[in-house]
Amino acid sequence: MPETTAPPSRVPNRGYRQWTPFWFLAPAVLTLLLIGIYPTIFALVTSFRRYNIARPREGFPFVGLENYVSVLSDGTFWASLGTTARFYITVLPIQIMLGLVIALLLHKTGMGFLKALARVTLVVPLATTYAVVGLIGRLIFNRDFGVANQFLDMIGIGGFDWLGSPSGAFAAIAIMDIWQWTPFCALIFLAGLSMVPGEIEEAARLETSSKWALLKHVQLPYLLPGLTALLILRSADVLKLFDMVFVMTRGGPGSATDLVSIYIQRVGFRIFDLGTASAQAILLLVLTILISRLYIRILYKEVQ
Amino acid sequence: MKRFLKMYTSVLALTLAAASLPAAAFADWLDDAAKPLKGTEISGIFLDRPGYRAIIKLLPEFEKKTGIKVNYEIVPYENTREKQVLNFTSQGDLTMALVDLVWIGEFAENGWIEPVSDFTKDKTITDPNLKLEGFFPLLLNAFGSWGGKTYGLPFDNYSGLLFYNSCKLKEAGFDKPPATWDELANVYGPKLTDASKNQYAYALQSLRGETQSADSFMRFLWPFGGSLLDKQFKSNLMSKESQAGLKFRQDMMKYMPPGIVSFDHAEAVNALAQGQVAMITEWSAFYGTLADPATSKLGDCLAVAPEPAGPAGRLPALGGFSLAVASQATEEQKKATWLFIQWATSEDIAKSYVDAGGVSGRMSVYQDPAVKAKYKFVEPMVASWQAGVPEFRPRFPAWPAISEVVAEWGSKMMLGEVSIEGGAKEIGSRMEGILAKDGYYDGKKKLLQ
Repeated sequence: MPETTAPPSRVPNRGYRQWTPFWFLAPAVLTLLLIGIYPTIFALVTSFRRYNIARPREGFPFVGLENYVSVLSDGTFWASLGTTARFYITVLPIQIMLGLVIALLLHKTGMGFLKALARVTLVVPLATTYAVVGLIGRLIFNRDFGVANQFLDMIGIGGFDWLGSPSGAFAAIAIMDIWQWTPFCALIFLAGLSMVPGEIEEAARLETSSKWALLKHVQLPYLLPGLTALLILRSADVLKLFDMVFVMTRGGPGSATDLVSIYIQRVGFRIFDLGTASAQAILLLVLTILISRLYIRILYKEVQ
Repeated sequence: MKRFLKMYTSVLALTLAAASLPAAAFADWLDDAAKPLKGTEISGIFLDRPGYRAIIKLLPEFEKKTGIKVNYEIVPYENTREKQVLNFTSQGDLTMALVDLVWIGEFAENGWIEPVSDFTKDKTITDPNLKLEGFFPLLLNAFGSWGGKTYGLPFDNYSGLLFYNSCKLKEAGFDKPPATWDELANVYGPKLTDASKNQYAYALQSLRGETQSADSFMRFLWPFGGSLLDKQFKSNLMSKESQAGLKFRQDMMKYMPPGIVSFDHAEAVNALAQGQVAMITEWSAFYGTLADPATSKLGDCLAVAPEPAGPAGRLPALGGFSLAVASQATEEQKKATWLFIQWATSEDIAKSYVDAGGVSGRMSVYQDPAVKAKYKFVEPMVASWQAGVPEFRPRFPAWPAISEVVAEWGSKMMLGEVSIEGGAKEIGSRMEGILAKDGYYDGKKKLLQ
């Protein structure tokens, strides 16, 4: 069969050259290099140096793995990592469950106006600055005039010393994090639910009246990619959560809310030992990447 | 009669001229010194506290007189050191350092601030009435000096004071405040505490951070004869005296509101202002907040006394800031900054500074009967500054790292998560680790604090 070449449907743009895509991409790539890659490389290099900017006379010598050895043998680092893990395990399941319930409610048919209003309202906590969330938290959980204790009084449980006791302070920061990030989970799940083809969902509803079966066999596959993204984002988020906790408790009382990011900030910007702080940050980066890979391997499946 | 009138007028004129001489001389001197520096811009960091608001109020007078522009940024205390260290290490734009007494060693040893002797030798830029001996010696020594050299002039000056609700004390049958810590705990404490009515005798700000380490932990070492370090810079926290002080703090907790480990300055001041507690030991700078009807219910019930004495005497908390010229500034900026520092801490504006809400470090202003009568905190504060420990908190560069350790384990002690002995041992070993790393035990560094 003779080869035929179809005439071009459009006249090629004379301004388009081999390098044109490069120029379009260059600003984004450059920006990424500047604000993402350069600081990471700088932190990596710093982590191999003794780098205390409050001791400039001592210089910044290369010390190999000394900072990493010191971090890995530092009990406070492991303790703060443990507190972070406990915080993560506490808040994430609650956020996922509440987020899913909210998303399922908003996915129901009818009540269009209310649903639109609810969707907008969900964005408010997300748009609130972390430090402001911390300030609100300090007010809500104030022992004498906070709303939390007034509510407990109303339902007949006496006031509780939230920020003054280790368990109370931990619960308070967890509640504030759940308040701020449950809407994010709800919006992600809602996006997933809206991708379920209408005819499949309708057919499933005819097949079964069990909502659990519908969720498990029809909706869940569409929610998994979103759930994977959510777990990755929230893992990174919890590992670097600083402002809200610092404003509410400064890591106290004792070390009850001493999350790893609070500890790194202290080493980096109170003691100014940037070498050790960088080593801690690099180890956290590795941990985040490992957790993310794990989530992708276990959960992520393309919907067929 | 004519002769008498003439003589009277001459005497009056002479008296008036003599009275206005220092101010006029100060103005003349400053005018002359600032002439070549007109248009120079200087910059520093201020805090959102009464002393800084006071100088900001007076600033237009300085700028008008000298033509020097003073730029300032208001920063929360917790970020001030971080901001300045980053600025000095990156050769930033700050020409003036705000030096908390615990930063003086770090700033001076790193060469970030200039000794005042570099400027006083130049008569053209030095106030003839500078009189360094006019500052309270304790303040000049603690806030501005390191290694025998003076770097900064005391600007925002505090002493720990006992603020109390005299009406509550009267109701409980006391006509004067406690003179000793023992009296506060054993006589006043039980009578002024009624947990069922949410009423407590005393609040001690103890939030984790510098509040825990400086305001809470250290406050109970010195008056009991203890200290953080011994003469060889080893931990002294296991000494009988230090242990007694820390145990006393723990025992006092039954007279404090629950959750005291979450109390920062604002919460402690508010507890007294709103009538929850009868006494607090706080910085003199909080007098304004407690006296202001907009922020306090105390009214005439507000009374002030020196901090109670311990077995080792009255050794109240000492804190404050000096202003120093930053080494990174240009020669012109250094001169202009030096002029500003001299003006802001001078005897000539001391009265206006106090009236605007500041606390001057000059002795002369507190001899004024009008000042004594108007501000209740003056007499106890001046009494506190007669004797004190400059190293109430060690002023060496290692303090920020040690402060973090004290803050963590000090609050764990208060929460009962660790015993007094256990906590003190932990702080001691970690502190010695920090000091060893800094070279204090191998002769690399002088034992200065």
